[in-house]
Amino acid sequence: MNQVVAIAVNTFKETIRDRVLAVIVVFALLMIVGGLWLGSISLGEQGRMMKDFGLVAVTLFGLVVAVFIAAGLVHKEVEKRTVFVLFSKPVGRAAFIAGKFVGLCATMAVVLAGMGVFLFLLVWAVAGEASGMLLVAVLMVYVQLLAIMAVTIFFSTLGSAILASVLGICVFVAGQLSHNVLALTRLGQNAVTEALSWVVYVVIPNLAAVDVKAGAVGESTLAWGEVAVWTGYLLAYVVVVLALAALVFRRKEF
Amino acid sequence: MLRRVVAALVVLACAAGVVAYQATRPSRAPASPRVFVPSPRFFQDFSPSFRTSIADLYYLQMVQYYGEHVSGDGRLDSLPEMTTLVTALSPRFTRAYLFSAFALIDAGRADAAYELLKRGFAANPGDWRFPAYLGFFAYRYGAGEEKDLAAARWYEKAAAIPGSPDYLPRLAAALLAKGGEQGKAVLMLGQAYLAGDKYAREKAVKGLECILPTEKEARMRALAPLYETMPRADADALVAELFREYVQ
Amino acid sequence: MTGQSALRIAGLHKAVHVGFRRRRVDILRGVDLEVAGNDVFGLLGPNGAGKTTTVKVALGLMRPTSGSVELGVPGVSHVGYLPENPYFYDYLSGREFLGFCARLFGLGAERRRERVEALLREVGLQDAAGVHLRKYSKGMLQRVGIAQALVNDPELVLLDEPMTGLDPVGRVEVKRIIQGLQERGKTVLFNSHILSDVHELCTRVAIMREGRVAWSGTVDEALDEAATLEEFFMRTVTA
Repeated sequence: MNQVVAIAVNTFKETIRDRVLAVIVVFALLMIVGGLWLGSISLGEQGRMMKDFGLVAVTLFGLVVAVFIAAGLVHKEVEKRTVFVLFSKPVGRAAFIAGKFVGLCATMAVVLAGMGVFLFLLVWAVAGEASGMLLVAVLMVYVQLLAIMAVTIFFSTLGSAILASVLGICVFVAGQLSHNVLALTRLGQNAVTEALSWVVYVVIPNLAAVDVKAGAVGESTLAWGEVAVWTGYLLAYVVVVLALAALVFRRKEF
Repeated sequence: MLRRVVAALVVLACAAGVVAYQATRPSRAPASPRVFVPSPRFFQDFSPSFRTSIADLYYLQMVQYYGEHVSGDGRLDSLPEMTTLVTALSPRFTRAYLFSAFALIDAGRADAAYELLKRGFAANPGDWRFPAYLGFFAYRYGAGEEKDLAAARWYEKAAAIPGSPDYLPRLAAALLAKGGEQGKAVLMLGQAYLAGDKYAREKAVKGLECILPTEKEARMRALAPLYETMPRADADALVAELFREYVQ
Repeated sequence: MTGQSALRIAGLHKAVHVGFRRRRVDILRGVDLEVAGNDVFGLLGPNGAGKTTTVKVALGLMRPTSGSVELGVPGVSHVGYLPENPYFYDYLSGREFLGFCARLFGLGAERRRERVEALLREVGLQDAAGVHLRKYSKGMLQRVGIAQALVNDPELVLLDEPMTGLDPVGRVEVKRIIQGLQERGKTVLFNSHILSDVHELCTRVAIMREGRVAWSGTVDEALDEAATLEEFFMRTVTA
């Protein structure tokens, strides 16, 4: 546990001090502010436009941070040979993966909290709407990105950082379309494709199930119980993927 | 040194060219009134988490499209598809319905506007504006003998929604009376009298004065059903006001 | 630990598979080695002889294909390791990095602080303790690398090319640290190309060639067979 905490704190320091992160966050904030301009040409829908485009900005820039940092975390340690220092000490491979993930979770929490609070205050100041649902939506984006970070870390234990980033983004896109894959499984034209679609449906995290962006602009009423269950599902998914990553990483030699 | 100067001059010339072209090129040709609008099905299937954002983008495009064409060629060929797309992706985007409804009127598609508002009301049953606008559209653009009654029914529905303005029952009653349903109009104004403030009560009394017969007995008979729908004391007060001149 | 074996390696083989066709390359072909406690042991050999791989297998960074490694200490938590050409976290200061390493051994906050400050003094980095590692010179990195290897006060210290890139002053300091470790009863095994340092510090040496230990004995035994250690080394590796 000590090791996990130590690696998590170190990873947090590493990622939060990364200048690229600061640049991405500044761009995200600029895009959120850009919602003001869209609001001004929307015939009185300032609040809705700011919330909607703000949440898209939070999601997409959060995804960029999650994928690119997660992809580099393990890989950089191997490439720069800092793993020699770590694994010559009583640090297990699973503790390493867990520590890296927890550290990145902390960084992502700071990044998303910063962007979310900024968006919340901007909407409040400009449109006079203090929407708690906005913060809930940001929290749910965080839950989705936890799954993406875990998946990207898993891919980074298998191959290069670039490949891991690309695959991480692909999983994000596929996770939004999970229901389509489910529809494919029900077509029932061919037993093989049906089985294959089912496997893909199970393997890909169902991210759309915890997306409540529409709720933040009043589009849908949330079934809180269902969202809570899906959140639990995604957290369990994270545990499984990280366990697989640790398993793969255990086989690595340096 | 010479090479550097030449390189700098080439860069400067390119920059001047770019700016000059942008500044002087002919203004954009008028946009086509027919634009490509994807099927809502596509976005519903492929972007569940970003539907409302896509709806917002198309709403902004729709506003721009309307602005560009309404004062120009007056052609709004693609407006119905845009409206369908935006409202299908974001069924609770009330402003999109209301803006589109009036824009469709400008496009000469009152029928489409009416249907759109009906869809909007189905998706937003708690928003009185939909039945109120439907009432207005039925009255203004409807045809035939029944249009007053159709409008009155929409106003009636709007008036029943909590938070709706006081004038709606009076509007509904006036149209009911105009459509020949005086009895229902009396009841409607009775309810407006009951629920309203001093100003609304005065207006309800005035409305009743307009539609009630002047003959004392007939007036009495017309007001009798009020006692079944109002507390006795309020009904007595209303009747007293309506018979003040007769008493004098 | 004096008298006991701090590290015993027997019949160690390591093969890796490289390229698309998974060609087998034997890096270690039966290494036998024993490092006695409280010894300063020099592991010599030309590039590619298998010195670093031997150390990595001993530490568990690589798995042996066959053979055995026995540590004379309770586990890796009693071992310190300085990798060759060490590279550490750019974004941490020297103090933060050593604190991080100490935390990996489960040291409490107070002990951690004391240990880190003592190590910074020992390697002469007190003045640069707050500076980020990316601003460190190669010599400073080497010194912070040695400090991290000693953070757990290990019984057995494995140093891979500890003198590389150091100026004469740095080399003197590292030598002083190694001598200090021996005086405190620790065992040191180091790989090096610099034979004069080996001569000065080591009691025993092993010379590796093509994945095997070609010769092993005391420095004095080597000097009995040749005028200088260089000459003995050249004779062994070219035999």
